[in-house]
Amino acid sequence: MTVATHKTTLDVINLNIALPNGVRILRDVSLSLEPGEVRALVGESGAGKSMIGKSVLGILPPSLRVTEGEIILEGQHLNAMSPSTRRTTVAKTAALIPQDPLTALNPVRKIGPQIVDPLIRIHGWSADKARARALDLLDRVHIRAPERVMNSYPHELSGGMRQRILIAAAFAPSPRLIVADEPTTALDVTVQKQILRLIRELQQETGTAVLFVTHDMGVVAKISQKVTVLFAGKVMEDATTKAVFTDPQHPYTRALIAATPSYADLERPFSPVPASLISDLHQQIAQDDALYKGARR
Amino acid sequence: MTSTNTTAPLISVRNLRLSFPDRAHKSLIGAAPRIEVLKGFSIDIPDGKITGIVGESGSGKSTLGRVLVRLLEPDSGEVLFDGTDIAHLDEGALRPLRRDLQMIFQDPMSSLNPRHKVWRIIAQPMKRYGRGGSKSDAIAALTKVGLPAAFADRYPHELSGGQRQRVGIARAIALEPRFILADEIVSGLDVSSQAQVLALLKDLARDMGLTVAFISHDLSVIRHLCDEVIVLNHGEIVDQGPVAEVFDAPKSDITKALLGAIPLPELDDNWFD
Repeated sequence: MTVATHKTTLDVINLNIALPNGVRILRDVSLSLEPGEVRALVGESGAGKSMIGKSVLGILPPSLRVTEGEIILEGQHLNAMSPSTRRTTVAKTAALIPQDPLTALNPVRKIGPQIVDPLIRIHGWSADKARARALDLLDRVHIRAPERVMNSYPHELSGGMRQRILIAAAFAPSPRLIVADEPTTALDVTVQKQILRLIRELQQETGTAVLFVTHDMGVVAKISQKVTVLFAGKVMEDATTKAVFTDPQHPYTRALIAATPSYADLERPFSPVPASLISDLHQQIAQDDALYKGARR
Repeated sequence: MTSTNTTAPLISVRNLRLSFPDRAHKSLIGAAPRIEVLKGFSIDIPDGKITGIVGESGSGKSTLGRVLVRLLEPDSGEVLFDGTDIAHLDEGALRPLRRDLQMIFQDPMSSLNPRHKVWRIIAQPMKRYGRGGSKSDAIAALTKVGLPAAFADRYPHELSGGQRQRVGIARAIALEPRFILADEIVSGLDVSSQAQVLALLKDLARDMGLTVAFISHDLSVIRHLCDEVIVLNHGEIVDQGPVAEVFDAPKSDITKALLGAIPLPELDDNWFD
């Protein structure tokens, strides 16, 4: 395990990601994550929330490239590294809990090696230590017969079980950072609650910082301490979760909260984000883009 | 809804039982054992109201929905649609009823033909049931769901998820059915598109006097949208009644657990306890 000598686990500074045609997917995104903190990245589809985590982990789709900005993980400037050094550094420090557990697991390999191998290969653990840790973690995520599950193939397990296995695998090396990319979107509410509880327990135990990508303001309220609200790749609001729900500053944040069903005001009709607000925001972003282009000409 | 006095049910289900063969445990010879999915219950879907059907995955809610529109035939029991038992009608006898029993699907991308323009997707079933089917008929349906006429010439992949789901709704209401089954129609959508689609469905149901069964695992959506709710667990009804009653005084622990599992957009330090 790395000794946490740095104050922040992750700093993203003025990150810009663009398509080959120059259209920006992320627009000057900055955020930081302290050890043991959960920061929610929230926004609608297309807001670029997943792209932040992917650029940190170095798994952006090949068509996208980082055009500008710094990513500093545990005090190390990732952009300044050679691709291979960067891969090793990220693999040792960070992990991903993906949205779809079925595509994330290799269908022709048993569960056991899929958890154990990275611990041996990347973290240099002995086979015995790695296996013991895997069994321990499977037990921690309430897998009842860990030995049997290690010997199973992914298709033999339910969706909720597979998601718990990926959580165990992500936490096994006690990484400094976990990117959780909509880990509960595909699940039932009751299973979702179990999974959120597990992530929270393990995160508190290991002191891992979590970047939690979601579109659900309800999940944000329960799991995070800090929130970054994104619209069209731009940060609308960056605040503590408490502040966001007691005194949201940005109209878009207020609109997202209002659009989420609650029991508080049952007479209130369904309230989508107003179209006028969306077009205002797009206008502002077009102006930003013009300035950004101008400054770089 | 328009009328507060109790109306006769549009669909009445009596002693409904349905099972599927369990192929995972089939022996080499003979029939596979059967898994009972719906375990013999009776429910009413009131006319002109929105009834929510909730439960976890595997509770049988989608199976029940498919019996209501007779995509599935039950093992036994009655499904009375406007007084007629449709439980065991063959496809020929069902055909005249098909227009009245419409469905909106969870994933509009896979339920809309990707090679057809939006107007054809809406117009085709209209033609089949002799309810018009011209391009202008399709545009009229698009207007009802709040989409501009220009969308008629687009393909499904050119639309957002919320817009596709509106097309699914337009296709269903264009036939002026009496009953619409909506199966998890907003679970793939962003909160904002979700709110738009739900507001639309609520308005259309009221304006057209539609009877809707709305399947969801999200009780907060049900609470806002529905008049009545049925809670299913392992193929049995564990709670039912007007939404306000079921939510204020849930009878079953299953309902309580479902209610407690919804992450509401408000701070709550004790939510995990």
